[in-house]
Amino acid sequence: MLTSTPARIAGYVGRKVAGTILTVLVLAVAVFILIQITPGDEAVAAAGPGATAEQIEQQREQLGLSGSLPQRLVSFIGSLATGNLGISSASHGPVTDVIAAAVPVTTELVVVSVILSVLVAVPLAALSAIRASGRGEELRRFLIVLVCGLPTFWLAMMLQWVLGAKLGWFPISGRYTIGATSVPTITGSTLFDAMLVGDWSAMGDALAHIALPATVLSLGFIGPAYRILRTEFITAAHRDFVTVARAAGHGRFQLLRRHIVPHVMTPLLILVGIEFGSLFGGAVLVESVFARDGLGAMLTNAVAQKDSTVVIGGVLVIGIIVVVVNLLVDVVQTLRDPRLRSAEMGV
Amino acid sequence: MTATATPQRRAPRAAGAAFAAARRGWRTRHRTAGSVLDVVGFAIVGVVVLTALVGPLIAPDVYASHIQNARLAPSAAHLMGTDDQGRDVFWRIVVGSRTTLSAAVITVILYSVIGVLIATVAVLAPRWIGDMVMRVVDVMQAFPSLIFALLIAALMGPSLQSSIVALAATGWVVTARLLAGIMRETLTEPYVEAARTLGVSTWALLLRHVFPNALPTLWVKWAGDLGITILLIGSMSFIGAGAQPPSAEWGAMVIAAKGYVTSAWWGALFPGLAIACTSMGFALVGDAIHHRLSHRVKGH
Repeated sequence: MLTSTPARIAGYVGRKVAGTILTVLVLAVAVFILIQITPGDEAVAAAGPGATAEQIEQQREQLGLSGSLPQRLVSFIGSLATGNLGISSASHGPVTDVIAAAVPVTTELVVVSVILSVLVAVPLAALSAIRASGRGEELRRFLIVLVCGLPTFWLAMMLQWVLGAKLGWFPISGRYTIGATSVPTITGSTLFDAMLVGDWSAMGDALAHIALPATVLSLGFIGPAYRILRTEFITAAHRDFVTVARAAGHGRFQLLRRHIVPHVMTPLLILVGIEFGSLFGGAVLVESVFARDGLGAMLTNAVAQKDSTVVIGGVLVIGIIVVVVNLLVDVVQTLRDPRLRSAEMGV
Repeated sequence: MTATATPQRRAPRAAGAAFAAARRGWRTRHRTAGSVLDVVGFAIVGVVVLTALVGPLIAPDVYASHIQNARLAPSAAHLMGTDDQGRDVFWRIVVGSRTTLSAAVITVILYSVIGVLIATVAVLAPRWIGDMVMRVVDVMQAFPSLIFALLIAALMGPSLQSSIVALAATGWVVTARLLAGIMRETLTEPYVEAARTLGVSTWALLLRHVFPNALPTLWVKWAGDLGITILLIGSMSFIGAGAQPPSAEWGAMVIAAKGYVTSAWWGALFPGLAIACTSMGFALVGDAIHHRLSHRVKGH
């Protein structure tokens, strides 16, 4: 009882951040072990076909592949900590530059997809929970299996072909109409930059370009989100406190807003944290179809060009993004939920 | 069953398992027994398995190109048309069914073995080792497996074998977590305690009491996993980390047809439909098995 509330919160966040750093370390070690145990010489692959023995040795030196195993692990972690991810064998520039250009593009896609998923899944779940009965279960089951079973990459291609190429409703590829907009680069994401400077026509253009990829990407998230939220809405609506509030004369809207939705937010937040990783995985597939130059397209190109430093760097950066998002979800969740708050920090 | 549809608050781990289950589309409530969808699921899986067994034996050569027949629209002679090399798309899908299905089966077998081993270590080893293993499992679960698999396949050089190894190396996580939970639960059951008191060794306990107890859950998981693995094998081929041309692996067929989808849509549409149907078939079968098993338990 001696420490103040802000101090307790700071202590809690500090513990969480320390845990996250540990997790990133585990991830880095896992990637390092993977590189060591996979057959095939990375230096030979990075040096490219027809490289001389000297060039291969030079690559080995550059990639930190010379020396004993513990030495290599230390130099690997060391260069990560200093933000040095090596040189791309395809572009001959630092990997960090390649990644820095790609991160905002993918983030834009993932963020729009999450927003879209929530906007679709929450009302859908609420509506179907209000009219919950045994009927329609078969249809629901079919639709969920359908949404989960469609190959993302194929669906992306088919929508691009039908809605983009054939009907011309959406732009086929890219992030914006080339030459049509002159938005300054602030974040690197055309959509967010256009919003920041208030250029509405550029924003509309970016939104039109992101519509199809974001729809495809969000489908994989809407299925499970709908399923879990529907159950949550049904349970929440039958809680005692909701019955009491209803008896006290609260209207339907007020019940939803003040009592039911806050309850449903918890699983929704956890779900966003868990699914964030797979959204990045899905983004790899969607971006390569729609020619969006984000992390996914970067990784796909790097695999094709055997540019292993870029693949390793990209995987690590995606890992760090996922872990950090999970940290944020955890902290927001704890600050928001009074029960968790008292359990974790006693305030 | 460990998988519950209601996420428990303050138990993100349990919630994680439930979300994973929901994502794979297993759990449904208020189901009527023997629904149409169960039949559809078993029918799809039956047809695909039969095609994979018999198809390649009766199919014509699907690798030789006949440029004069390139991009023919579907007709009686070519049910699903021909691709840019003049190869019959229907027969390529038939032959590819064996490639895709066997790759998925091998992947699931491999990672199930890894999952069993890791779960056993997590449960039987000293506490601190078990905790460390579960920490790694946590990290792995948050991480997109497709991206990890991409890394492994890139390091090994892209091929179907690489994508099998890569998916096996990343796919064990949920199996291990599920199994570790069931094992911990079962080891404290009175009948297991009784057997232990009678002097049955730990390994015999595991083989005779614990694993058989986990089997029903695993059947459901395996069926659902096959569906997901078929999607992943296709995805790996699609991003160029898996099967390479001229393979008739379904995902490889879709990417090969990407360049000419506007002029000959059939080259991409049908292999993708094959992936979608097969994956849904396995999901429905998993669902059906789950339903039957939970029904039988209730009946007792």
